[in-house]
Amino acid sequence: MKISAFKTGLFWILFLLLLIFSWGYAFSEKNSVVEIYKNATAPFDDEKSVDSILLIPDNTVPVETKYQGGFFWTETRKDKIERFKCSECHNNKDVKIARAAEIAHGDIILDHGGQDKPLSCYTCHKKDDRNFLVTEEGSKIDMDHSYQMCGQCHFRQKKDWVGGAHGKRVSYWAGTRVVKTCTSCHDPHSPLFEKRWPKTYSPPLVN
Amino acid sequence: MNSRKNKDCRKQKKNTPLQDKPFGRREFLKGAVKAAALGSAAMVSGCGTGLLGSSEEDSLRWKEYFKKHYRLMTQEEKDETVRRLERLARLRRGVDIQMSSKGPIERVLFGYAFNLTRCEGFMECVAACVKENNLDRKSNTQYIRIFEMEHGEMSPASGNSKYFHEVPVEDHFYMGVQCFHCEKAPCVKACPTQATYREPDGIVVVDYDWCIGCRYCIAACPYYGRRFNWNEPYVPVNEITKKQHYLGNRMRTRGQMEKCTFCVQRTREGRLPACVEACPTGARVFGNLLDPKSEIRYVLKNKKVFRFKEELGTDAKYWYFID
Repeated sequence: MKISAFKTGLFWILFLLLLIFSWGYAFSEKNSVVEIYKNATAPFDDEKSVDSILLIPDNTVPVETKYQGGFFWTETRKDKIERFKCSECHNNKDVKIARAAEIAHGDIILDHGGQDKPLSCYTCHKKDDRNFLVTEEGSKIDMDHSYQMCGQCHFRQKKDWVGGAHGKRVSYWAGTRVVKTCTSCHDPHSPLFEKRWPKTYSPPLVN
Repeated sequence: MNSRKNKDCRKQKKNTPLQDKPFGRREFLKGAVKAAALGSAAMVSGCGTGLLGSSEEDSLRWKEYFKKHYRLMTQEEKDETVRRLERLARLRRGVDIQMSSKGPIERVLFGYAFNLTRCEGFMECVAACVKENNLDRKSNTQYIRIFEMEHGEMSPASGNSKYFHEVPVEDHFYMGVQCFHCEKAPCVKACPTQATYREPDGIVVVDYDWCIGCRYCIAACPYYGRRFNWNEPYVPVNEITKKQHYLGNRMRTRGQMEKCTFCVQRTREGRLPACVEACPTGARVFGNLLDPKSEIRYVLKNKKVFRFKEELGTDAKYWYFID
């Protein structure tokens, strides 16, 4: 009688131990990707490891904020603005062409800030100095560093852009980090992407 | 096996009188023995053209039949087969391709993240992928599938992947699905010939010449990540991407499995995959998981991420995240 009770007790203990160990084994994250990348803390040297990496291309400027890997570069803006410098027209001299404003800037559709708080031209451009953007605080910002202007309101996006969760790199995942600037993808005057037809279509699922 | 693949031998086999008779088991076995004898004899004699090398293309193709699995090849053997394939592309299709057999980069493990908030379903990635990877234009093979899903939907199974209208649609989001390059890939386990395997940099690739077309991997893959060539793939000669990789976008033939390779021909040279480069909204993030400063690591650390069907334990290297 006593012996059989001892036996059943032993059986149950062993059974429970087995259960606990198998539980632990099934839910362990050993050798999983998550484990692997979390353990990888040593810096990775792009230039040594990857043969053909991007040297800093033309038409880029160093960003004034550092990301987790140090300095990075972004695409320029000034060379893509048709009539830069602005002060060529916007100076103190009179403009003699009729409807000059319409000819020069008639294509701009301002749709920024929504219906509640629509932005005007003078939110970003100031009368005194047209060649620069001016922040709410009143500091001048070079057109090539427009991310500083956008980051005033879109600070979350700017943080993600610096880190790498918003925007995109140019051509290379390795080497010098060169990213697109805000205005490479967004029209600053109407920043939302327009609706359009997709580039292609997918056939029904087979296989 | 080798004789069966050679054209001339096939002709010889067809001429045997056994073909016309109704087959019993005994007749079949007899025929098989005869065919085997015939085949081995043909192999010894070089089957007319093959070993003698009467034409360059035949001799190259003959040599291609006897190459090893890619993983067992030495670098010299890899170089040789790459040279043969380049020459064959010249002879057969009249294009000059540059094929690479570049190996994985040390201390690199590729990872991918997809921003569900940003994707607007423009499908630029799909078009770029088709072009880059020389996918069959006839059957419209695509590695990437974009699902249009209503807000609140949790699985692409209920989404619409055949949409063709102006995008984005209100109250919808878009989820791109492709090969997730699982660390514990079910397709690798299922493959009976080890034609599909995991490269050291984490890419799951197919050695096309070792694939027997059994399609077990399609059945094993829970993500619809693999594509089969039911026909000889057709790509217009002027649209062939000439920069190729042995494990990547080189031309496949009928009966071979293919899949996304994270554009191995690009990524091993430090470039971004075609889909990432083409994305107009920046919804796709690609990088080295072992590099603490990489974008992918930033996403994994700072964003709300999840993996599709994570409960299956496939350990995919493809994360979805939201802003």
